[in-house]
Amino acid sequence: MPRGKKSKLRAHEKRHQAREEPENLVGVQATEGVREEFRSSSSLPLKSLPAAGSYSNPQGPQRATSTATTTAAVSYTRSNEGAKDQVEERPRSSQAQPITEPFHRGPLDEKVVTLVHYLLYKYKMKEPITKADMLRKVIQTHRNHFHQLLKRASEHLELVFGLDMKEVDPNRHIYILVNKLEGSYDGRLSDDRGVPKTGLLMTVLGVIFTKGNCATEEQVWQTLNVIGLYEGRKHFIFGEPRKLITKDLVKENYLEYRQVPNSDPACYEFLWGPRAHAETSKMKVLEFLAKVHNTVPSAFPFWYEEALRDEEERARARAAATAHTAATASAHSSAMARARSRAMDGTCSRAMASSSSHL
Amino acid sequence: MWNKDRPVPSYMQGSTRRVGIMTDVHRRFLQLLMTHGVLEEWDVKRLQKHCYKVHDCNATVEKLEDFINNINSVLESLYIEIKKGVTEDDGRPIYALVNLATTSVSKMASDFAENELDLFRKALELIIDSETGFASSTNILNLVDQLKGKKMRKKEAEQVLQKFVQHKWLVEKEGEFTLHCRAILEMEQYIRETHPDAVKVCDLCHGLLIQGQSCETCGIKMHLPCVAKYFQSNSEPRCPHCNDYWPHEIPEVFDPEKEREAGISKSNKKPLRSRQH
Repeated sequence: MPRGKKSKLRAHEKRHQAREEPENLVGVQATEGVREEFRSSSSLPLKSLPAAGSYSNPQGPQRATSTATTTAAVSYTRSNEGAKDQVEERPRSSQAQPITEPFHRGPLDEKVVTLVHYLLYKYKMKEPITKADMLRKVIQTHRNHFHQLLKRASEHLELVFGLDMKEVDPNRHIYILVNKLEGSYDGRLSDDRGVPKTGLLMTVLGVIFTKGNCATEEQVWQTLNVIGLYEGRKHFIFGEPRKLITKDLVKENYLEYRQVPNSDPACYEFLWGPRAHAETSKMKVLEFLAKVHNTVPSAFPFWYEEALRDEEERARARAAATAHTAATASAHSSAMARARSRAMDGTCSRAMASSSSHL
Repeated sequence: MWNKDRPVPSYMQGSTRRVGIMTDVHRRFLQLLMTHGVLEEWDVKRLQKHCYKVHDCNATVEKLEDFINNINSVLESLYIEIKKGVTEDDGRPIYALVNLATTSVSKMASDFAENELDLFRKALELIIDSETGFASSTNILNLVDQLKGKKMRKKEAEQVLQKFVQHKWLVEKEGEFTLHCRAILEMEQYIRETHPDAVKVCDLCHGLLIQGQSCETCGIKMHLPCVAKYFQSNSEPRCPHCNDYWPHEIPEVFDPEKEREAGISKSNKKPLRSRQH
């Protein structure tokens, strides 16, 4: 969301109000808590920074900060696009222009860093993040700057870690971090009701994948038993597991559950459902498996090869979709090529029709 | 849309610093390293190759050291760093993503109660003060009455200790606890600051020492992998400080090639734990 005039004005007003929070002065009245956290005997230039007082305009630091971040965004985006764009030459890190980032530090800047650490921790623990927790544990006295701090922290997470902050519950202000890197349509399987099904689902998807993309019910139970889930035995988080995997997850299109053809007595097997294919990938599931076994995906060469092939296919599908979209975009944006666009209209509508089926 | 041709304003140029470039390869690497917590060098190299394959398969894989330095230059402003260390017991090179800014305990503060944090502090003290670098479960549990915060029973404390093991702060061996290699990487600063007198330091590398060997004459201590390197192919090992005969068994220098060839998996290997002091 762009930072509108209203929020800038509000920030300006707050600055006049909040005399006890002098954010323009470096290190002068930082709270004890903040100082504590950044006490470090390494050579980080915390104290040797040029004073933020060099910005004469009170609006200066605010704008400087956001400018700094967006300057960073330039090079990040450029190199990111370079990686995505298959026509241009990819910028190598040695050739690409290094970005520069000013090093001003006020108490707000330190809060941003602490918030980044907190959010990363929650990501690692695969726990959702609540606004209440952020305010209580991290932001504390700077509550008035919550949105600004959150925005800045999210920018860092996006640019440095490729993680996107998504608000999953606007009423209760609950957020999650999702992986926005290519190679995943949606880094995390959606989990609206707050029940941590993701780990369980990933486990089942993992069994299915490693058994050749189709696993018997018996094979699935073998793995679930190992992690303490048994048929018929209600679990305090997941409920009754059999209902969960044969009904609930099937209903949500994450899994397919079908009778093994010609089986007598009837026995059943699991496959990935269309939603699993859409929201995750073989590589992501393999990464999950690798993490569980405290190793890396390439430690399973056979499945790793299959996952790589899957990634390539997905990339090809995406490239085809992008080509169509690009053709559409250029036709629309070119004001000069009216005549050309008329000729392209035929191509356009065909492209749009097929690109919408890809996306 | 940001106009990328706009010049950098003058007030930003004075205090600027050169920072590296992040691409999706680096971001993916960071995500996965963070998820694993700590990884051995060989796994890190495989991880790096994996990230290239997934996000930029035509690029040449950058040398690991440069790759990591590049990422670290970006992470610096966030007080995070990919740190390289060596396991104390068998000298394996390891990498972890560490928080430089927060003190270890306040970093854990988000997920541990006050009495749990205090239990960790007490265990840490016992570990640092011990001769072997290990604190017995019994000794730690005997301190539950002294903990700040809500009263904790011994049974509960046992579970909390297991939680620390799960989160890779502590490691348990035969009923005794020491610091996980990742915790040492992450907390070295904190430990040196909070226990300046009690803390032990390796005479060779000057790094924090929890486990190691010591000279019986002059008392200096050295890490096992430091001993291994220093006395490698030396038939008459002598203390670097007082020149007295070094009485302990000299461990072998860690050789990643040898281990791969032998096909020993990480989980099967039982590292030598030297209790000689």
